[in-house]
Amino acid sequence: MADPSLCACGSGLRRVRCCALDLATLSPRDAIAPLQTLMEQAESAADRDNAAAIAFCSQVLELAPGHEQALGLLYRLRKAEPRPAAAEALIRRLVAINPNSFWATNELALLLLGKGRLGEAELHARNAVRIAPRNPQAHNLMGLILTEGNRPQFGEFHYRRALALLEAPDAILLANLAGNLKAQGRMTEARGCYRQSVAAKPNVPETLLGWARMEEAGRDFPAALALLDRAEIIAPDNPSVRLARAVLYARRSEFHTALSVLDGMAQGQVGSLLGPTELSERGRLLDRMGRHEEAFAAFIAGKQRLRELSGRTYLADEAASLAASLKNFFTERRLSGLPRAGVRSDVAQPIFILGFPRSGTTLVEQTLSAHPEIAAGDELPLIHDIVAILPRLLASPLTYPDALAELWMADHREDLDSLRDHYLARVRQFGVAGPDARWFTDKMPLNEMHLGLIGLLFPAAPLIHVLRHPLDVVLSVFSNHLTHGFYCAAELETIATHYVLVMNLVRHYRVQMTLRYLPLRYEDLVADQEGSVRLMLAFIGAPFDVRCLQFHENRRYARTASYAQVTEALYGRSCYRYRRYLKELAPVLPILAPWIERLGYRIEQDAAPAGRSSAARGK
Amino acid sequence: MSAASTASQPAVQRLPLPLALDRVNREIEAGKLDAAAALLASELAAASPHPHAVHLSGILAWRRGNVADAAALMERSIALAPEIALYPRNICEVYRALGRYNAALHSALRAVAMARADPLAHANLAVVHYDRGETAEALAAAERAISLAPNLPMAHLGRAEALLLAGDFAAGLEEYEYRLRVSGGRRDMPPEETPAWNGQPLESGTLLLIADQGIGDVIQFSRYVPWAAARAARLVMASGPEKRPIVAQFPEVSEIRPRWQDFPDFAAWCPLAGLPRLAATRVDSIPAPVPYLRADRSRIARWECRLAQLAPAGMRRIGLVWAGRPEHSSDRKRSLPLAALAPLVALRGLCFLSLQKGEAAGQIGENFERAPLINLGPEIADFDDTMAILECLERTVTVDTAVAHLAGAMAKPAMLLLPHAPDWRWLREGNDSPWYPTLSLFRQSAPGQWGPVITDVAAALAAPHPR
Repeated sequence: MADPSLCACGSGLRRVRCCALDLATLSPRDAIAPLQTLMEQAESAADRDNAAAIAFCSQVLELAPGHEQALGLLYRLRKAEPRPAAAEALIRRLVAINPNSFWATNELALLLLGKGRLGEAELHARNAVRIAPRNPQAHNLMGLILTEGNRPQFGEFHYRRALALLEAPDAILLANLAGNLKAQGRMTEARGCYRQSVAAKPNVPETLLGWARMEEAGRDFPAALALLDRAEIIAPDNPSVRLARAVLYARRSEFHTALSVLDGMAQGQVGSLLGPTELSERGRLLDRMGRHEEAFAAFIAGKQRLRELSGRTYLADEAASLAASLKNFFTERRLSGLPRAGVRSDVAQPIFILGFPRSGTTLVEQTLSAHPEIAAGDELPLIHDIVAILPRLLASPLTYPDALAELWMADHREDLDSLRDHYLARVRQFGVAGPDARWFTDKMPLNEMHLGLIGLLFPAAPLIHVLRHPLDVVLSVFSNHLTHGFYCAAELETIATHYVLVMNLVRHYRVQMTLRYLPLRYEDLVADQEGSVRLMLAFIGAPFDVRCLQFHENRRYARTASYAQVTEALYGRSCYRYRRYLKELAPVLPILAPWIERLGYRIEQDAAPAGRSSAARGK
Repeated sequence: MSAASTASQPAVQRLPLPLALDRVNREIEAGKLDAAAALLASELAAASPHPHAVHLSGILAWRRGNVADAAALMERSIALAPEIALYPRNICEVYRALGRYNAALHSALRAVAMARADPLAHANLAVVHYDRGETAEALAAAERAISLAPNLPMAHLGRAEALLLAGDFAAGLEEYEYRLRVSGGRRDMPPEETPAWNGQPLESGTLLLIADQGIGDVIQFSRYVPWAAARAARLVMASGPEKRPIVAQFPEVSEIRPRWQDFPDFAAWCPLAGLPRLAATRVDSIPAPVPYLRADRSRIARWECRLAQLAPAGMRRIGLVWAGRPEHSSDRKRSLPLAALAPLVALRGLCFLSLQKGEAAGQIGENFERAPLINLGPEIADFDDTMAILECLERTVTVDTAVAHLAGAMAKPAMLLLPHAPDWRWLREGNDSPWYPTLSLFRQSAPGQWGPVITDVAAALAAPHPR
């Protein structure tokens, strides 16, 4: 008897013709030719009556569930509705049935990119380039994904390849390239590209917005405002433009004005509902204004909205499973028989700045990279890359970290050198370190998950672990949207849970391995900047340089959420912010209490008036 | 807790106990703790548990390392049966282990008052007085125990330690021979009928030395190897693998094997710890030919290279050891938590290199003080590594462990943190050691008080030329 149940993805197809479909049962292409008439009716209806078009497509797919044209059309229709789950299921099926379809592969990669699933998006983008190496869109796609994935240097290559493949300069590609150059801190070149893009196509609000954000990051607020004015004339209802305006006002400490921009959006002037980014920005504004209860409510609303839109929640089981494998593998006993990579003396060496997101890693990088011998590498994705390719490079049937067991074999004893060189070669390709640099920083958050691997690859590398009151860390992560850490930022409790998981892992590594490890407290950096800077430089082995104390004059553009903070002189308002939110943070106190104690912090009520800038150590 | 555990059996047997409790006691003595616990469970479940059942459960907790539980249970047994002298006698050892020296003394005195003819009660009192730094009282109590039981080894050992701590090596080293007579003292020694060496030149045959006691003792007393070798035609050594890097340094030793039984033929034998007595060592004649231990050159080169990777070039390298083996009977008083060293690791310009091994090294994972503290433990395979590292450091800060002896024997500067009543070899007073000229001693002024000691060490480290 036929199963009449409809598929849960929302495609409108029967389950057995949709997500439960066995691709091996599909009919050959010739056998479905008689359905062409139905398909033509579907195409014809698509321009005027979507419901009819969907009905025609469904008929076709009921008879021939692998019909590519019908799948493609139904995908477009469901995407437009929007029914994102159905759209994703349909386009995935199309790619599975025809892996050589450039259009479908491109669509799937874009869809995944939009959902922040960069790793998977990159797989399909690479396929797109393989399918159509001379297609500019394939390279544009790779450029987008690599830029978003913290490898802008490689992204630039693909944007430039796309431009070269086009007969005439494309305004959107130029704007993408400009964004890429901005991510590399090459502001003058980026500005040039934005100019060219706007000259070619003056009325693209996204281009003007990207340019405005660059000027805002570079502290040219009048120029940024002028660009936003132009964008708003073109697109008065664009929420991103309004948000950028609010951010700009906030950077000028015009909090009320910024808030009124956001509230105007919420009251229906622009849109009926603020998005997650706008809600979190609103929360941060309210925090700066001392309206803490409202601020926290906005943070909660932002997280809730993000969960609704993305469906992302903390991947607790995956995180726990990886942590357990790492603890199981990286033990003193096992490591005693493992080789270590040698230390290269011919290239700049890494300094790993470790820490949970929002611990102050950007501040530390900005401080160190003000030193003439230290280059900023930013959030290098390379340790994660090595984790991904390690089993293949070691020819291991096991996954990471167990694949490292191959190093016990005679023919793999020197493979750590190869992995180290892979990392260093990528750093060279990224152009991170100039000729004068003896060191470069890698501040990928949560690299501390892989402290064991880092210790094997770079046994002499300084590991600076930036610590901050755990409640401040959790609060700050909650007030931002981050994808690091298995999407732990989705909820307050999961941020705390992941914090504990990571700190337990760091403790394990420090006991089981010999590491060149230095804990550095954010609060110490604020309270005793020079002492902390001297300590870090001495630990690295670099001479003291007074320029590190004026890190805010470092014109380097920091890509992360902290970019605005690190362009201000050191301030204490981020120390012990949690005190104003103790009531709201109550659910995470039991989770964090043991680590708060181990780190020597206390949990205290805020006795000072809101907005004070005292940086007194709360230990 | 040799006093309590060895003492408890005869006393328990004298009590008119039900058969079940007698069996519990036997199981505990046999080390069958789970079986003892199972038997005790039914006794303790009674509405009014027998005081001895409660006390035995305290001994059981003690054997399992639950010292606080042991104290609580024994206190309960005393409350139930305050007339039994055995209970305060046993609990004083538990209090001593907890560092509750006043309570220990109170219990030991009470046990003596309740059973004046009990030599074990006096012997326990001697141990408590020793730990309180009351050497004369310790000596007097030990001698009272000996007068009651002239062959009681632990009383003689208590007397030996009090005498030696006071610097009376002539009498102290003689009494120190009783260490071989305490329970387990002759483990790994030839039987009594084999000829023990008397220190006189051996005309012919082989002299067998035995690397006895802990690694620190072996390091300390191996200085006598050349002296012994000069009095024997051939000298061989029985030594476990852990001590081998130490004893193998002496070219006078013709052969090293793991156990004395591995040498089928020897003319006489002597444990290393017996050599100071045979050499008639006195405080003013302690041989200190430092350095008498040296690190292997290739290991030094390897560690110099590794430390250059780990320790910043401009920072002073300071070694750190804060705990000994937890199984050592005096570990609680000689070891301290890493967190107590916070004033040291707050100093600037210093890089601390942990030589700590064992369970205590786990504390590194929760150290977040300002100065770098590099955990070398995972890469230290043996004492050859430790010696090579010591060669590469400016100095070492250590509690009373093998590393202190090693630094001293290598003539490397080390700051030794000592409890109020230290092991006898560090003597009662003074900030230096006749055994090891390069050691600086930092002593507690009261039992358990590490704070002032660490402040002094920090001040000395911060000085331009640390002593």
